[in-house]
Amino acid sequence: MRILPRTAESGSYAALAGLAPKRRPSLTPYYFILPYLVFFVLFRLGPSLAGLGIAFTNWQAVGTPRFVGFANFEAMARDPRLGDAFQNTVFFALLTVPTLIVLSLALALFLNQPRRGRAVGRVVVFMPYVIMSTVVGVLWTWILDKDFGLLNVYLNFFGIANVPWLVSESTAMYGIILTTVWWTVGYNMVLFLAGLQDIPHELYEAARIDGARAWGVFRFVTLPLLAPTTFLVLMLTIINSFQVFDQVYVMTSGGPGTATLTLVQYIYTTSFQFQKFGYGSAVALILFGILVIVAFFQIRGYRRGLKGVE
Amino acid sequence: MRKLSLMLLLVALLTGVAALNAQEVVTLEFWGGWTGPDGAIMQQLVDRYNAEHPGVQVNLTVQAWSPLFDAFIAAASAGESPDIMAMHPQETAMFINLGLIEPVDDIVATSEVFQKDAYVSKAWELQFYNGQMWALPFDLGIHGLYYNLDLFEAAGIEAPPANAEEFLAAARLLTVDAAGKHPGDEGFDPANIVQYAINMHTNHHGFYQWYALYNQLGGQLLNEDGTACAMDIDKAVQAWQWLQDLVYVHYAAPQGQTDYARDFITGRTAMLVDGPWQIPAMIAAEAEGLRWATAPYPTIFDKAAVWGSGHNFTLPTFADPAKRDEALAFIEWLAANSFGWLASGQLPIRNDLIASEEFKELPGRQAFVDMLPNQVLLPNIPKFSEIFASNAPTPMMVMGQRIILEKADIRTEVQNACDTITAILSVP
Repeated sequence: MRILPRTAESGSYAALAGLAPKRRPSLTPYYFILPYLVFFVLFRLGPSLAGLGIAFTNWQAVGTPRFVGFANFEAMARDPRLGDAFQNTVFFALLTVPTLIVLSLALALFLNQPRRGRAVGRVVVFMPYVIMSTVVGVLWTWILDKDFGLLNVYLNFFGIANVPWLVSESTAMYGIILTTVWWTVGYNMVLFLAGLQDIPHELYEAARIDGARAWGVFRFVTLPLLAPTTFLVLMLTIINSFQVFDQVYVMTSGGPGTATLTLVQYIYTTSFQFQKFGYGSAVALILFGILVIVAFFQIRGYRRGLKGVE
Repeated sequence: MRKLSLMLLLVALLTGVAALNAQEVVTLEFWGGWTGPDGAIMQQLVDRYNAEHPGVQVNLTVQAWSPLFDAFIAAASAGESPDIMAMHPQETAMFINLGLIEPVDDIVATSEVFQKDAYVSKAWELQFYNGQMWALPFDLGIHGLYYNLDLFEAAGIEAPPANAEEFLAAARLLTVDAAGKHPGDEGFDPANIVQYAINMHTNHHGFYQWYALYNQLGGQLLNEDGTACAMDIDKAVQAWQWLQDLVYVHYAAPQGQTDYARDFITGRTAMLVDGPWQIPAMIAAEAEGLRWATAPYPTIFDKAAVWGSGHNFTLPTFADPAKRDEALAFIEWLAANSFGWLASGQLPIRNDLIASEEFKELPGRQAFVDMLPNQVLLPNIPKFSEIFASNAPTPMMVMGQRIILEKADIRTEVQNACDTITAILSVP
C-alpha cells in the first residue's frame, strides 16, 4: 500500500493539481468523471443516438424495427394532439420562464441583503426543490383540490369562490405553472445568489460615492455584472420548461381533455403507452431541434450583449 | 499477495452461490398493479404460499398498472419477463399482438382447478381472443350503487332506485341546499348545495359509466372486425346526456368532483357509483357512523348493462420455461384460495365460492354478484390503450372530460371521438 507519492513521474498530487511541470497529459482527471460518464453514455447519449435511428422506424419495443423513412414525420402533420401538445408547451414556457426569472432574481436580491433570518429564508425558498417531483405532484394535487384544497380555503378567506384548478380546461395549466414555480424557483435563486456574491463590493461603493441610487446601482452595476448568471439561468429555465413532464404526469395526465398535454408527456404516452416508439422518437427529435434553435439564438444574443457591454 | 487474496475471495463467493443453489429454491417473479389496500391482501396470500411451500419463493412486485405495463414491455424488449403477469381481460389483445403472452389452452386442458364449469361463464369467456384462451381468470369487478341508509331514511326513500324514473325522484329528494330546499322547489339555490344525490366521475370511470348506459340502449362501439368506430351517434348522445344532466340540469351530482369515496363517506353525496373495491373502505367507515348498503347499477334505459373489468393471470413469453409448472401451481393455489382475496372487495367468479355460506356472510357483495351476467367490458383490441387508456388524452378521456367538466356540446364531442377512434384504427 502506497499512500504518499514518491516522485512526480508516478503521478504525484502535485502533478494532479497541475503544479508540477507539464509532461504528458494525465489520465487521472478522467477517472474522476468516469462514473458520471458511464451513466451519461449508457442512459443519455446512447438512448439519444438510438432515438435518432428509431425515429425512422416503426417499432413497438419488442420485435424488429421496420424502416419507414420519413413516415413518422409526415404523420405529425395529421396529428391534432401533437398540435395541442406543442401549443400547451409553448404557453407553459411563455408564462413560466419570465415568472421564474423575475421571481428568483427578486428573491435572491432580497435574501442577499445582510438581514436577520436570511439563512432561514434561503433554506425555505430552496427547500421545495429538494422534494421529489412525484411528491410535489401529489402534494399540489391536494393543495389545488377544488372542494377541499388549501389554496381555495385561503382564497375563500378573501371572498374568492372555489377555483376549479385541475378539474377545468381553463385553469388546469395555471395549476401546473403554480406548482412548477413553487418547486423550482429556489434553484434559480441559488444560482442568482452565487452570481450576486461574485460581484466585487468596491463597485457598489464606487457607484454610491458617485451618487447612484438603489435603482441606478441595480441597473448599471448588478444587472450587467450578473449577465453571465442570468444567461445561464435563462437557458436552463427555457430548456426545463420545454421538457416539463413529471408534474403533468402525476397531477393531470395531460387532462382535463388535452388542456395540460405537453410535448414530453405526449412523447412518453405515444412511446410507452401506445407502443409507438418510432413516432415518439420522431417527436422527440423535433423537440430537440426546437431546443437547439432556441439555444443558438440565445447564445448569439448573449455574445452580442457581451460586446455591447465591452 | 493481493491477487491471491482476491482469488480466495472469489472462490468463497462462488461456493456460497453454489451452496444457495443446492437448496433449489425456485423463485417466481409475480407482477400486479394492486396499489391500494388490495396490494397488502395479495401480499398476505403470497406470504402464505411461500410459508406453505418451502421450495418456492414468490416475489410480488406491485406498481400502478400503467407504469407496470411500461416495465413489462421494456423488460420484454430485453428478452425478459416476470413469470406471472396479472392484467385485465380487456388488455390481453394488446399484449397478444406484441407477442408478450402465451396461450393457456394446453394448461386448461389438464388443470383440475381451471375448469370451465367451475366458473361464472362470463368470467371464462372473457379470457378468449381469436378462438384461443390467453389468460387464467381470477376475479371480476363491476360498478354498483352504494347508498347511505341514514340519508335515504331522512329523505323518506324506502328502496334504492332501479330505473330512470325512480332515480330522478330519489335524486331530487336527496339533493338539498343550505336552506333545506330541493331542486325544483321555489328559491332552491344551486350555488349552495350541501348534499348531493350522487357522485359524478371526472376520471375514466365517467366514460365507463357512459359505456354501460350506451350498452343499455343497445349501442355498439366498434364494427365487427374492430377496424372503425361504429357508434350510433344518437344513442351515444342520449347516454351522455343522462350523465351531463345529472350535474347541470338536476344538480344531483357535484361539478368537478375529485374524491368520490370520501364524499360518500362524509355524507356529501347520498349515493356512490363505484366498484366493489370500495367495500373495505365502507366497512372501515362504519366506525365513523356510516350506515351503508349496495344495490345493482340502475337500468336507466332499455336493458340492464353495467361496466365491468376483472383480473386475470397471464404467462409471459419471455419467462423461464423451466419455471412454468411452478408458476402454474401458484396460480392454481391462488384460484383455489381466492376466498382470502375477497377481503379486497373484488367479486368471486368460482361457482362453489359464490354458493358458499362464508361468501353469503360478507357484506355488500350480493348486489354486485347478481349483476355479473350484465357486465360489459371495453372491447379487447390490440390498440386498446390508444383509445381507452385512463391516464392519457385518449379519445374516450377527452370526450368524457369535455362533456362532464366543461359542459361541452355532446354531439360534437361524440362525433370527434368517433372520428379519432376510426383514425387510430385505420393505421395498420
